[in-house]
Amino acid sequence: MWQEAEKLFVVNKAASSSHENKLMKTVIVVHGGAWDVPDAAAEATVAGVKNAAQVGDTVLRSGGSAIDAVERAVRCLEDDPTFDAGHGSVLNAAGEVELDSLIMDGKNLAAGAVASVRNIANPVSLARAVMEKTDHVMLTDRGAGMFADSISTPLAHDLVTELELEEWEHSNSYRDGVKRFFNTNRGHDTVGAVALDSFGNVACATSTGGIRNKMVGRVGDSPIIGSGGYADNGSGAVSCTGHGESILKVTLARLILFHMEQGKCALEATNMSLQHMFDRVKGCGGAVVLSSTGEWAASFTTPRMAWATVTEDTLHHGFNQREHFTEKL
Amino acid sequence: MLPVVVVHGGAGHIPKDRAEASTIGVKEAASTGYALLQRGGSAMDAVVEAVALMETNPRFNAGLGSVLNVKGEVEMDALVMDGTTLGSGAVSAVRRIANPVRLARLVMEKTNHLCLTAEGASKFARSMGVPEVPEESLITDYAKMRWKKNLEPDANPNGNIACATSTGGMLNKMEGRVGDTPCVGCGGYADNKVGAVSPTGKTPEEASDLALRYMKERVEGLGGVVVVNPNGTWAARFSSLQMSWAAAQQSQLHFGLFHVVALPNCGKDHLPQGQ
Repeated sequence: MWQEAEKLFVVNKAASSSHENKLMKTVIVVHGGAWDVPDAAAEATVAGVKNAAQVGDTVLRSGGSAIDAVERAVRCLEDDPTFDAGHGSVLNAAGEVELDSLIMDGKNLAAGAVASVRNIANPVSLARAVMEKTDHVMLTDRGAGMFADSISTPLAHDLVTELELEEWEHSNSYRDGVKRFFNTNRGHDTVGAVALDSFGNVACATSTGGIRNKMVGRVGDSPIIGSGGYADNGSGAVSCTGHGESILKVTLARLILFHMEQGKCALEATNMSLQHMFDRVKGCGGAVVLSSTGEWAASFTTPRMAWATVTEDTLHHGFNQREHFTEKL
Repeated sequence: MLPVVVVHGGAGHIPKDRAEASTIGVKEAASTGYALLQRGGSAMDAVVEAVALMETNPRFNAGLGSVLNVKGEVEMDALVMDGTTLGSGAVSAVRRIANPVRLARLVMEKTNHLCLTAEGASKFARSMGVPEVPEESLITDYAKMRWKKNLEPDANPNGNIACATSTGGMLNKMEGRVGDTPCVGCGGYADNKVGAVSPTGKTPEEASDLALRYMKERVEGLGGVVVVNPNGTWAARFSSLQMSWAAAQQSQLHFGLFHVVALPNCGKDHLPQGQ
């Protein structure tokens, strides 16, 4: 263990910036979903991502792991009914909440995912349990529920909010269904985070309630490795949001990292990949991205995406296109 | 650009007494798919029919003959993808369906989604009039001894590429376990525009070997792939001990089982005329 830490230290020294104690600078980037966020939700959405980023940063600054940081940050967003994840998730065609989540550790490519789970307040933690307590990477539906039960995860029966019930009834009466959301900027309220810890490890996590009025059992990109997220110490970490079906078709997370492996910076890789997704399958979305050296990007092709980054005692955040605010912490 | 159909019946260890049946099965699937192409069928038609044949064949871990999960049940995953549009359909952890690959195709063609899982997939099947079959009808005596995957990319005369994958998954897997098979980009991928002009310049064979080596070194995983590019260049490569595979192109049927080509289970046949 000590030897391994030493080896990381030597590698990171070349890559890190200026800190005398020679640990990597830490970075966490969080998003609250790429979509046409209505004005009424703007303030809560921005406050939510800023809070989640700071929660994640606290973990990193105290020497915690990237995996711990992304899980904590995403749990905040799942617990916040403003976001389409955990509490506050949109409802499927049957008026129920079905949740998807993914978490991945860039050190050894370990990953855990759950798809179409019900009555779980924090799917990202269940996904982490799949990663750490089973020999598998992904569990779905009934099987995921049985696993949750086997590790004594309490059931949550209060995930359906009044607002979402109203929205669901409204969309039903106008027969909106998913067709209306297909390739548009609506209802893509997935949450996610990427982090780089002081040991040089990266991780990602993504969580969602999916698309409003989706078919029962519909699984989008969020729990799918390479699409909803990916993390590899060798290249970086990504968490995606947007039209799930489009993200899957271009394996967006892996595509972004591929471009970084070919030498593009994080922002260029993200923009090229989002452009490709639009050109090839007419899909819009966004991503938060980290390279293995701590370079970060938050970019989106929808009108809005609330994002926040904490690194080197500074909070960066944005919401509308081309916004980038900074605050000293 | 030559049309081609490449199939495999799973990468792993294939016991001697099963090897012949496995080889016959992949040859039959490749020939059937290729014949469909010759009659003017699409790449998607060809891959779905070839994989459906292997699902019906009790010798393969897909459909009938699937391995069982920890509870002794059959839970199946399948994926189809169309290289022209990147359209895709998948089902995961679906039960009591004879041909999951056909259901995956219906997801692609009849819904706005890419993947349906478990109960939702069954509900969709019912809505499409796809009959539910008894669990026992999918379970063979040999089911607990196998772990195979079926994968088939191919190209038709128009240069369109499609792939299909189907599996019963891993022996004694947990209930609800989903593997790579129904995950776009993992169990399969198809894009007409990739490979013809590759940014990294690798052939299907080079790309496959590099990828398999990476998987072995990085996460100690073994496996196999069949690959075709829009020009009709194909490869069947594996890092496991064996993989039964067959490729039909022009009037030749190539097939293999082991790494060394000169063994009895490998070789070339001529495809029957007029099919």
